[in-house]
Amino acid sequence: MSKRKVKDAHLPVGECITQLQKILRERLCNQQLPEKPEGVGAQHKHLLELLRRTAVHGESNSVLIVGPRGAGKTMLLKSVLRELLEEKEVQKNLLQVQLNGLLQTDDRIALKEITRQLHLENVVGDKVFGSFAENLAFLLEALKKGDRSSSRPVLFVLDEFDLFAHHKNQTLLYNLFDVSQSAQAPIAVVGLTCRLDVLELLEKRYIERVQTQLSLPQDFPDEKFAKDWNESVKALCEDKSVEEVLLRHFNCSRDFRSLHMFLMLCLSRVTVAKPVVKAADVLEAGRLCFADAKADMLHGLSILELCLIIAMKHLNDVYEGEPFNLQMVHNEFKKFLQRKSNSMYNFEQPVVLKAFEHLQQLELIRPVDGSSAKTQREYQLMRLMLDNSQIMEALQKYPQCPTDVKQWAMSAFG
Amino acid sequence: GHKHLRTRYALSISVDSVPQVTVISAGQNILIEGEDEDQPYVAKVLKLMGDESGQQKKALVRWFIRASEVPLSKRKLLGRDPHPQEIFYYKGRSCDDEVDAESIIRPVQVLHLDAAAPFPESCDEDTLFVKMSWDSKTFKAVTSDQVDSGSADSAPSHLKPSLPPSPPCSPPAAAPATQGPSCRVLPTPDPAVMRKASLLIIRLESIRNRLKPNSTLSPQATPSTPRTPHRATPSIPCRSLPARRPANILEEARIRLHVSAVPESLPCREAEFQDIYNFVESKIIDGTGGCMYISGVPGTGKTATVHEVMRCLQHAADVDEIPPFTFVEINGMKMTDPHQSYVQILQKLTGQKATPDHAAALLDKKFSSPTPRRETTVLLVDELDLLWTRKQNVMYNLFDWPTRRQARLVVLTIANTMDLPERIMINRVASRLGLTRMSFQPYTFKQLQQIITSRLDKLKALDQDALQLVSRKVAALSGDARRCLDICRRATEICEHAAADPSAPGLVGMSHVMEALNEMFSSAYTTAIRSASVQEQLFLRAVIAEFRRLGLEEATFQQVFVQHQALCRVEGLQPVSVSEGLSVCQRLGACRLLLLEPSRLGILQRVRLNVSQDDVLYALKAD
Repeated sequence: MSKRKVKDAHLPVGECITQLQKILRERLCNQQLPEKPEGVGAQHKHLLELLRRTAVHGESNSVLIVGPRGAGKTMLLKSVLRELLEEKEVQKNLLQVQLNGLLQTDDRIALKEITRQLHLENVVGDKVFGSFAENLAFLLEALKKGDRSSSRPVLFVLDEFDLFAHHKNQTLLYNLFDVSQSAQAPIAVVGLTCRLDVLELLEKRYIERVQTQLSLPQDFPDEKFAKDWNESVKALCEDKSVEEVLLRHFNCSRDFRSLHMFLMLCLSRVTVAKPVVKAADVLEAGRLCFADAKADMLHGLSILELCLIIAMKHLNDVYEGEPFNLQMVHNEFKKFLQRKSNSMYNFEQPVVLKAFEHLQQLELIRPVDGSSAKTQREYQLMRLMLDNSQIMEALQKYPQCPTDVKQWAMSAFG
Repeated sequence: GHKHLRTRYALSISVDSVPQVTVISAGQNILIEGEDEDQPYVAKVLKLMGDESGQQKKALVRWFIRASEVPLSKRKLLGRDPHPQEIFYYKGRSCDDEVDAESIIRPVQVLHLDAAAPFPESCDEDTLFVKMSWDSKTFKAVTSDQVDSGSADSAPSHLKPSLPPSPPCSPPAAAPATQGPSCRVLPTPDPAVMRKASLLIIRLESIRNRLKPNSTLSPQATPSTPRTPHRATPSIPCRSLPARRPANILEEARIRLHVSAVPESLPCREAEFQDIYNFVESKIIDGTGGCMYISGVPGTGKTATVHEVMRCLQHAADVDEIPPFTFVEINGMKMTDPHQSYVQILQKLTGQKATPDHAAALLDKKFSSPTPRRETTVLLVDELDLLWTRKQNVMYNLFDWPTRRQARLVVLTIANTMDLPERIMINRVASRLGLTRMSFQPYTFKQLQQIITSRLDKLKALDQDALQLVSRKVAALSGDARRCLDICRRATEICEHAAADPSAPGLVGMSHVMEALNEMFSSAYTTAIRSASVQEQLFLRAVIAEFRRLGLEEATFQQVFVQHQALCRVEGLQPVSVSEGLSVCQRLGACRLLLLEPSRLGILQRVRLNVSQDDVLYALKAD
């Protein structure tokens, strides 16, 4: 790497772009740990102290990290562990057991996994022998034999902690906490869950994060390119319209994962011809992110299907959201046709039925729960899965929508 | 059982050769039927007796003990693995020395060996070796005189009124099938030997064809799959670097305040301690059995008190104040199934492994058959409510065994609720549990204060006022000592962080304790709402607005969304699309601030609040 750097400080633009995309994609997609955690300093320090005491002093502890999805719980724990394991005293002593509520769906599997990860003596190869009861007794016996000062401390990480609480009798949790509260082998139990949120405000670090996520590291091969890029990112962050989009995104969710997805959209628009992220790219990505999924679907419907949807909307308005069936919708549609002299939309009943079924396949309408399948299809009760605002928005954008249909949709009562 | 035995006898007569008559005289060593078919009791006959009618013949014996009869915890005192045919001369407390002639199996040869001498290589099935004596505490070498002469030095000090012979139990149904038939014959009345019987005649079936289990179960082929190492020792590897010693007062205090630290004595539970102590002690001394039910909310010292009682009793037994006893503990939470309790009890008593059904049968036999030399067993059942099964047979057995005369079983049960017997137990179980109840009241603030003071033991780490604040707060809420200790421990951490000079932190004061209390008692919901995103907060407000409009505590997403859009306009924000609104709603649902229907219902899913409206409004207002 350094050799190449000496040879030609200026790489071709294409090469730079490839390198850039590689670095940034890794950062955005691989959940790479940041150099130092931002905004969670106090929590970081607290957790580090707690785990260090278990590792160094053999004091049992338990801690629950709660926060909404994408708030950085796993990141916090990982960076704490990274820092902790740099200490030699910890590295040599600490045993780790990683469990996930989505993988270890019951205590039987969880116990086997713990025994396997601890390399206890009833593990042969990669398999754990013995029944559930034997495994539990064995593990408890093993933990009981240990004591504070002589046995190696064990760190239990329980991801998706709330799922462990659903296990029968909560046997595993009781026993782990019981061990941590009695004079047995020292253990630290760390639970991660999204059920409730305690992490402090994330607001401040949010905009900053955009900058750090997109800026390049110091050792990028082409210095000039890196400098230009970083400056462009800085300029980008100062742009008013970009800030607006980011703020809107932030208002919606403070989830880092969704931010990463958003930035990925921007990044993928960087090409040789356009080697920087422009404000327009961010706006476009924002448009993609904020777009309504159902409204896009409406654009692909035929005029007949659209008319049926409008008829349903009117029915909803009249009957205040009561369910409807095909006959009612068809009648409503016919009323509209009668008012029109030219009957260019005169469809046969089977055609209307087919259109209705297509809407059901698209899940724009769904049958009311409990209505039996025995009822004839024309009379099966349905509900509309669209909001009025979505219908109106779709009509505005529908290519070559007939004016009378538009007017019909706008009119208050069919 | 008796009937069964007779029918089998008849069977063996017709099949086997003519039964053979064995004569037993005083001074001979004999095998006596016991709990385990493969390990019958061994004793030396001192005297033979018979009654007038000739129906009852008894033998006065001097016991030997097998290694398997020595309590599991004491076997390691021997310092080596016992030889399979080794027995020990029993010098323990006096026990029932009279055995029924019925229970005698056959004579056996007992050879004395010097303590240092090796065991003979080739040994006959019927030869047993004795090297040491066992007095229920230690193993000692014995001389051949002691073994041979027997009664001279330690003749039975008193003879208990002998019990009427009870029918021997049938072997457990699940006993291994490889064993030979184990029936014996009732002795034939013989007037000649009756009155001053010096000889006892027993008719034996042709000596039991006892096969070693190994020879019949000879392994056909080596198992191809790797098996669990037979005696895998459960243990966590040792530290490679030693644990660091506490460096300052706060670290020392933290160790003492940790829930796991076992205090020298339990303050504030003296009365309960005394009650339990007296109960168990009297049962051990009388050699009877009984049940006790102990209740109390978590963290009131139930288990700790019982453990302390057992420690004290064990000490008393060690210095010979009370007869020795065995202590077994099981915990309802520490097993996968209520029936596993049989397995655990059996394993802890005898070291045997068995399936739940077999273990239940073995235990039942153990506790219902009369056994000489039985020590009292004290069984602690923690988290009793977890042993509930539909038929309640586990609880029934646990409470029924102590009522058997021969069981000598004391059962102490612990659970949280005071009225557990009335609430979940059927009558016949509750009645066996009996009326010995004890309930642990939550600690008062003074007691909590005393507990912490005694734990710290003159260590100057906590301010007196701060201590009082913690104890009052906890006492007002739950009286849970664990929680109280945890808060104090957390306060020491906060104090250490706050200290300017980490090497010499000051006393834990009011401010540190207040911070710890706030951390423990603050509502996570409020924090969650405050740190939610703007749209999430708006959505919560929309939910409340819609609830007010409807007068119901439930609305569909569509209804809430209309309110949400209106609120967006009021706040001057760009209205969100339905998809975004749904994802906001889902995120709130994931944190359980909202309760949602499955998301496939789309905009029709119904929304409920999982917190009170007041809490939401309070959290949003304070922003």
